Amino acid sequence: MATLVERLTSIVGAAHVRTAAGELEVYARDATPLFHHRPDVVVFPGSTAEVAEVLRLATELRIPVVPRGAGSNLCAATVPLAGGIVLVLTRLDEILEVSGPELLARVQPGVSTQALATAAAAQGLLYVPDPGSKVVSTVGGNVATCAGGLRGLKYGVTRNYVLGLEVVLPTGEVVRTGGRLWKDVAGYDLTRLLTGSEGTLGVITEVTVALLPAPAATRTGVAYFADLAAAGRAVDAVIGAGITPATCEFLDRTCVAAVEDYAHLGLDTEAGALLLFGDDGDPELVDRSLGRIADVCTEHGATGVTLAADVAASEDLLAARRCSLPALSRLGSLTILEDATVPRPRLAEMADRITAIAAKHELTIGTFGHAGDGNLHPTCVLDASDAAAVERSHAAFGEIFGAAIDLGGTITGEHGVGAAKLPYLSRRLGNDQMALLSRIKTAFDPAGILNPGKLGSTGDQTTEAGTA
Amino acid sequence: MSDEPRTAAGTGDVFDPDLLSRCMSCGFCLPSCPTYRMTGEEASSPRGRITLMRAVQDGRLDVTDPTVLAQSQFCLGCRACEPVCPAGVQYGELLEEWRDTAWQGRNRPVLAKLLMLMMSRLGMVGITLAGLVRRAARTRRGTPAAPNLMLGCVERVLYPKVSRAARRADPSLVAPAVQGCCGALHAHNGESGLGRRMARRLGRQLPGTIVTTSGGCSAHLAAELGADRVQEFSAWLAAGHGPDLADLTPIQVDGRRARLGLQDSCHLRNALGVWREPREVLAHLGDYVEVPDAGSCCGAAGSYSVLRPADSREVLAPKVAAIAELDLDYLVVVNPGCYRQMAAGLRGSGTRVVHLAELVARAL
Ligand SMILES: Cc1cc2nc3c(=O)[nH]c(=O)nc-3n(C[C@H](O)[C@H](O)[C@H](O)COP(=O)(O)OP(=O)(O)OC[C@H]3O[C@@H](n4cnc5c(N)ncnc54)[C@H](O)[C@@H]3O)c2cc1C
Ligand code: SF4
Ligand code: SF4
Repeated sequence: MATLVERLTSIVGAAHVRTAAGELEVYARDATPLFHHRPDVVVFPGSTAEVAEVLRLATELRIPVVPRGAGSNLCAATVPLAGGIVLVLTRLDEILEVSGPELLARVQPGVSTQALATAAAAQGLLYVPDPGSKVVSTVGGNVATCAGGLRGLKYGVTRNYVLGLEVVLPTGEVVRTGGRLWKDVAGYDLTRLLTGSEGTLGVITEVTVALLPAPAATRTGVAYFADLAAAGRAVDAVIGAGITPATCEFLDRTCVAAVEDYAHLGLDTEAGALLLFGDDGDPELVDRSLGRIADVCTEHGATGVTLAADVAASEDLLAARRCSLPALSRLGSLTILEDATVPRPRLAEMADRITAIAAKHELTIGTFGHAGDGNLHPTCVLDASDAAAVERSHAAFGEIFGAAIDLGGTITGEHGVGAAKLPYLSRRLGNDQMALLSRIKTAFDPAGILNPGKLGSTGDQTTEAGTA
Repeated sequence: MSDEPRTAAGTGDVFDPDLLSRCMSCGFCLPSCPTYRMTGEEASSPRGRITLMRAVQDGRLDVTDPTVLAQSQFCLGCRACEPVCPAGVQYGELLEEWRDTAWQGRNRPVLAKLLMLMMSRLGMVGITLAGLVRRAARTRRGTPAAPNLMLGCVERVLYPKVSRAARRADPSLVAPAVQGCCGALHAHNGESGLGRRMARRLGRQLPGTIVTTSGGCSAHLAAELGADRVQEFSAWLAAGHGPDLADLTPIQVDGRRARLGLQDSCHLRNALGVWREPREVLAHLGDYVEVPDAGSCCGAAGSYSVLRPADSREVLAPKVAAIAELDLDYLVVVNPGCYRQMAAGLRGSGTRVVHLAELVARAL
């Protein structure tokens, strides 16, 4: 230990190494409940070269390294299950370039998603991926988790906007994948492989992202339904009518009440479900698109439809939606959320199944999510001290994953596997793919130092990970 | 189970468990926290501090652990983390509970003890201060129904002119000579019980409505006496008391309307949600210019600027730089602590610092 800390200090400087118990404690968790493990040391590197030296040292000494951005992930991806080094990348927070003519930006990994979006907007450009956590999440973290957001249906997710990466391999080599080119098929698509690799293959030290010209107008509206399934059927009808809304989010009654409690927007808390829809583009087209969505919703059972009066009202609605999860957490001392995703036409069915599973296990499960891409976030709110309820919630989520896979879906749409969902991963991938993942992991990280117990490891390693 | 041994102190009774369990560690509060922006370290963020509190509550860390103690002092107590928290975490309450336990005996900063002693003295023996008070804004005898102007212990020593101006602006306010300290300073420095008792006593000394020119005092008093009894001065004016705002004569500088900016009072903004009101008043007094980040702490933070001058200056520096860009005639404050801090920061610059009440009195 002593030599490790000394050598780390000689790489990054004493001001950027932390070892006190309290300083380790705060890096023992992320936004995921129920997972906790302290690292042995926390390091804040200030350059790619420093990252490379830290990784070389860790490989030499066989010390685990867990890369960390803002620690806002929801799958215990940054919990250092095996101790070792937590490598915090937020000092690397420079926006290196925003190029209008080339429609791209180059940033360091610690830049917040919001800061990148703001810098792009200042030049009339749009950085598309907008996870609910964008005020705090980092671009590096977004790439490492392939974060989704509120614009998935029309625009896709983070992976659709990553052009190139600079990555430090666990053995210390610095490689650049992709680049400034929109077309480039030289070699395996490592950029894609690294996107969503959850800090298990390499440490991202620079990201080149694609930008779009900012749409001239963005508008949103709200439709209310008797229940989530009805809202899901309306979404099908909207898309069936040839409309691709930029935003298509939904909240059930429990979530609407919690969000209203925080945001005071005058939402109808009596309705069974709320659909938040929006589109962007030329003002007339947007108005027409919103009018048509409103009509289709009304034809398909909406009990009320309102369109946001102006940009500020639209922003308020979207901001409120982004807060669903923390707002829900008001309802209990423990909030466990999942990320099951089904093919969009099965959304209504999935919503019904979740309702049935919640009733069977006598749990409060509020569901919100991205209706446009079939991504649901069933969220169980309970009393942490009620051990039986916590037990039942695990059983319920097991069944929810099963239901998602039955319907042709997946166990996680955007939040990632981390430690939390690793035990369920083989259900989705099967043994052959699990083995392939682990061979890929070994190719990048022969010593197995990078974020062990997560992707690329086998699920059983984490059975004792669920510590409070 | 946890990987860390439990300390003997893990009795689970330092914090109200309901308050503590509200936080879901989403991190939405990080960008708004001045100390996190300073260091980039989780431990000096609201989320990190709550994680430390949890560790204390669960016995994973002792309340005297060096990091725990250091963070309880490094926190400005500005509560910028509260309005941005979708989960409704009452950080201010948690901080009071934390300091109540952590700052016992020799763990309380010596200067904090001294300051509190001063304030308590000021509060208890209001009479002996009659000399000072007279020079402030003391009235003869108000009718019991009249709204009371609270003189504030910091303000009546450092800025008696503010209360005078407030009474000129609204002559219906009476300022009884015998009034104690509201106890905000005590509540924020590890004596929340005493702080509350002092607020209640002041509530008895000033029955009925209490108007204050101190944003910080107003939040503490309102928490104890109820928001319906306590009115900060700009909110009082915006609610239609005192002069008709439309009749005020805008302040002139060199024959043109003055350029005015505002520094919010943290607790006024973050705890009471009062930030539109001072802006509304200022719009009638000159050309209002929004200072970037006006809502973030100036570093005065109650006793913070005295207890941790270096950190306090570091929080202040970017603010001074931002204001220098704006070419303001006046930077307006609504809290005596901010007055002192901003005046120190802007000394020698072309921008003067005034309390909102002073400008209103000049615009009558
Ligand atoms: C309220 C709330 C709402 C959310 N909404 C959404 C949403 O709408 N869509 C969505 O997809 N997610 C959402 N999330 C989850 C989370 O914010 C995202 O996963 C985000 O991308 C994480 O970014 P981060 O900087 O916090 O990364 P961290 O949590 O710090 O890390 C996440 C993973 O990335 C790895 N990592 C981080 N930086 C690097 C790097 N430079 N190099 C290599 N690996 C790295 C870590 O090891 C870890 O595996 C939400 C979270 C919260 C709390
Ligand atoms: S205090 Fe609120 S905003 Fe901050 S991490 Fe906790 S829940 Fe999130
Ligand atoms: S009170 Fe202010 S300094 Fe303290 S944690 Fe909250 S935002 Fe940060």
